[in-house]
Amino acid sequence: MAVTATAPATRPSAAASRTGAVAVTAALLLLVAALAVVDITQGTAAVGAPEVWKALTGRADTADSSVVIASRLPRMTAALLVGSVLGMAGAALQAVSRNVLASPDTLAVNAGSYAALGIAAATGVTLPFLASSGVAFAGGLIAAAVVLGLSGLGAGTVRLVLAGSALTLGLTAVTEGMLQLFPQETEGLYKWNQGSVAQNGFDGVLQMLPVAVVGLVGLLLLARKVDALALGDDAARGVGVPVRSTRLTAVVLAALLSTSAVTLAGPIGFVGLCAPALVRPLARKIRAFTRSRASLPVAGLTGAALVLGSDVLLRAVVPSDVAVAVPTGVVTSLLGALFLVVMAARVRDTAGAAQPDRLRIRSRGVFIGTTAVLVAALVGLVVAAVLVGDSKLLLGDVVNWAQGRAGQTVSFVLDTRVPRVLAALCAGAALALAGTLVQAVTRNPLAEPGVLGVTNGAALGAVLLVTTVPAAGSWTIAGGAFAGAAVSAVLVFGLAAKGGFGQNRLVLVGFGVATGATAVISMLIILTDPFNATKALTWLGGSTYGRTLPDVVPLALVLAAGLTVAVARRTELDLVSLDEDTPRLLGLNLSQGRFGFLVLSVLLSATAVAAAGTIGFVGLVAPHAARALVGRQHVRVIPVAVLLGALLVCGADLVGRTVIAPAQLGAGLMTAVIGTPYFLYLLVRSRHRP
Amino acid sequence: MRRHLITAAAATAAALALSSCGTTEPAADDAKSADSLTLTDGTGAKVTLKNGPAKKVVGTEWNAVESLISLGVAPTGVADVKGYKAWDSAVPLKNDAKDIGTRGEPSMDTIASLKPDLIIATTDLPAAAVKQMRKIAPVLNLRPADAADPIGQMTKNLDLLAEATGTTDRAAKLKKDFEAKLAEGRKALAGAGKDGAKYAFADGYVTGNQTSIRPYTDGSLIGAVNKKLGLKNDWKVKGDKAYGLGTTDVEGLTKLDDDVHFAYIGNKDDKGSNPFTGVLKKDKVWTSLPFVKKGNVHRLPDGIWMFGGTESMNQYVDSVVKALKK
Repeated sequence: MAVTATAPATRPSAAASRTGAVAVTAALLLLVAALAVVDITQGTAAVGAPEVWKALTGRADTADSSVVIASRLPRMTAALLVGSVLGMAGAALQAVSRNVLASPDTLAVNAGSYAALGIAAATGVTLPFLASSGVAFAGGLIAAAVVLGLSGLGAGTVRLVLAGSALTLGLTAVTEGMLQLFPQETEGLYKWNQGSVAQNGFDGVLQMLPVAVVGLVGLLLLARKVDALALGDDAARGVGVPVRSTRLTAVVLAALLSTSAVTLAGPIGFVGLCAPALVRPLARKIRAFTRSRASLPVAGLTGAALVLGSDVLLRAVVPSDVAVAVPTGVVTSLLGALFLVVMAARVRDTAGAAQPDRLRIRSRGVFIGTTAVLVAALVGLVVAAVLVGDSKLLLGDVVNWAQGRAGQTVSFVLDTRVPRVLAALCAGAALALAGTLVQAVTRNPLAEPGVLGVTNGAALGAVLLVTTVPAAGSWTIAGGAFAGAAVSAVLVFGLAAKGGFGQNRLVLVGFGVATGATAVISMLIILTDPFNATKALTWLGGSTYGRTLPDVVPLALVLAAGLTVAVARRTELDLVSLDEDTPRLLGLNLSQGRFGFLVLSVLLSATAVAAAGTIGFVGLVAPHAARALVGRQHVRVIPVAVLLGALLVCGADLVGRTVIAPAQLGAGLMTAVIGTPYFLYLLVRSRHRP
Repeated sequence: MRRHLITAAAATAAALALSSCGTTEPAADDAKSADSLTLTDGTGAKVTLKNGPAKKVVGTEWNAVESLISLGVAPTGVADVKGYKAWDSAVPLKNDAKDIGTRGEPSMDTIASLKPDLIIATTDLPAAAVKQMRKIAPVLNLRPADAADPIGQMTKNLDLLAEATGTTDRAAKLKKDFEAKLAEGRKALAGAGKDGAKYAFADGYVTGNQTSIRPYTDGSLIGAVNKKLGLKNDWKVKGDKAYGLGTTDVEGLTKLDDDVHFAYIGNKDDKGSNPFTGVLKKDKVWTSLPFVKKGNVHRLPDGIWMFGGTESMNQYVDSVVKALKK
């Protein structure tokens, strides 16, 4: 499902192309230089344009010139370096994978570095800069290696992005767990994760410069072979290009480049995705840019302009003391998200129909057996979840409690524990159902409320409401979450509906909305409650902490309604999920049915978010697993997926509450930790299938 | 997959059989009433202690824990015991208090199992969590800080805790000692010619290759104490509404006056919390600051909890006086 640049319809003459390329490069250089100059004049110290001029001409006092030399210039250089390095890394990754979604973000490189740093910080080891760069570098490389190893080089781009996003979710969950468990040790790490180009002097930049140069030179040397890959693996092999080793080298070099950026400034989101995408339309007009040797440096320049522009914009818009608190990465993410959405709406989706699932048809007996086992496991788990916790209870306690005869401690424990168990159960079931519906409607293996930005939209709505109205009740929060989910869903599905839910377009827009919403949430937390990141992380980590029965009511009602509708219209779901033509031949109104199912899934995910925060993975894993277990008929998939979802979240909640008691982890973090390996296992297994 | 599920089901069935019937607690009996006590907490809610002053008290935030220990009440449960020991050495935790989990998400189960007479929470906790705690025991929900009147908020909390634990005499003494300490400190500083001296207190942390500085403005507890000591707060940045903390970077320090005295508290257990003796030594912006050149940078002892109670502040006053008299 790659969106490839289509060959130019009219071929300009080579000479004109070269002049065009030179003109574009010169214009970009000029823009970057202008932005760099503006960036130097901005900051918290009272050192503006006149002082900078004096400092540069050696006529300023020592204080001003040291600000320019030790603070402004390093920051500007870091922005330049980080932007260009990320732009090139993204361009290289997209070229070798022939996938516009490939970038340091989607290959889990950033998440790997973040997790490695988080673990290092939590163990209390404070490392010097170079060593911590080494740790981050190792983390990023390992993550990229795992993603590539699991997805298999050249074995399909969907798998690459799937493995990458799965690992990103899992690793981010681990790191956020660290942040919750070690708030002192990891202080500042949350902010760091947003990415900021500020520097303590030139040391970092100087240490990273050689790495960047090695990466760049390596990629340029490799450029001709990378270009050959664009023809397709077989064609490349035909002209004598070693496909595997070329791809491997390019990816290692790109990972090297992006981890150097991450260690220098934290993950500056989206630049690696956007910069090459901005260059791509140019390549249609100017032929020189179809070659990597020309397009890589241009992507680098574009990346530099993006990062510098974001930094300049941030410091121009907000007062300098506030600008210190808002990381540049948040701004690039916001800009990038906006850009991605616009680009996705315009891009020509050349992806063919998805390959039909090659799943065996399962017998009725298998379905009944699976369901019975799942029900038994779920009952057992629920009982365990009620009995086991920070303080262990016995069944007699529960009986006493049910009859209203329990002692004070037992009643209290159960009064608080039972709503949490119910919230976890319902949220898991609702998310699994929402995922099943979305995957059926969009026929997209990547589709999930989380990936499509609906969950993050809901979280944004809820967080907005919680920060402005601290005393909001459960229905109000559910309403806020629904409003956020609805807005993001209208945006995502509305834009993707153009041309019948093009697969890439849907995921691209969703990805953009998800990242944009996350960036806004981060900004809200930093600006409204800077010293209480734990509170926000608790919420965003998908926690059932402090849930009461009334909080679960909206979710339970929506879940019941959703199940009824889904079961009643199961045949329609089967048809919709099959292909584009069959339902039309049968005279079914596709868009109306799709719309209904989508609204339902939005409602389900919004209420789940309101009741238990953002819990990723369930909507992705549960339907996949259900189809693998019982085949693709929705009458069977729905109950199995719902049971699996409930099991997963309830189990995750139980583990999160007990393993490190009395401290606890959010269920969302635990689902990601449990879900990631399982999901990766699914990926590996399906690779060996004929 | 299916085999795993069967195993899981079997395991839970076995667990069920083992746990079978039985209780962990005898049936409830009615609480006897003694002279009851009604208080108004930081949110304006009425809190009634049916059996008079509380003896078994749980604290979810370190400032409340410190005040409790100062009042002579050994807390039964404390959030993040290890962290408390690292950051608040002015008032050490003497008894073997039970760890109730993190400060942001204390465990309800553990608190309930301690059967406390009283829980001290703060408004930094989610409202829903406080609501649940009220079912375990009466909850005093304190406002942890108020940038409009930091010392007033601290003593208000101390008084409330004293009333709830029947230790008002002790609180009066703590407050008197604190006043005396402030007056004594002010006199000592004036004697050293530091009356009205420009002063800036901060902490900071390093992540990756960046240094963040956290200025303590007039609205912070430390800022208010500084004012009482006759020092002039030199920060121009604005602090937040509760803790009076601002944000800036190394560059922002150039806005401090040339003759300012700069003080900070780090933590030897957490090197990331101490840029001033680390990365900044090589930072040109830092080394060319006039007050750094003059040697007017003071590291105050570790373990003075900047958001603590009267005893932490007494220790702070002593350390500031000692640093500035040099």
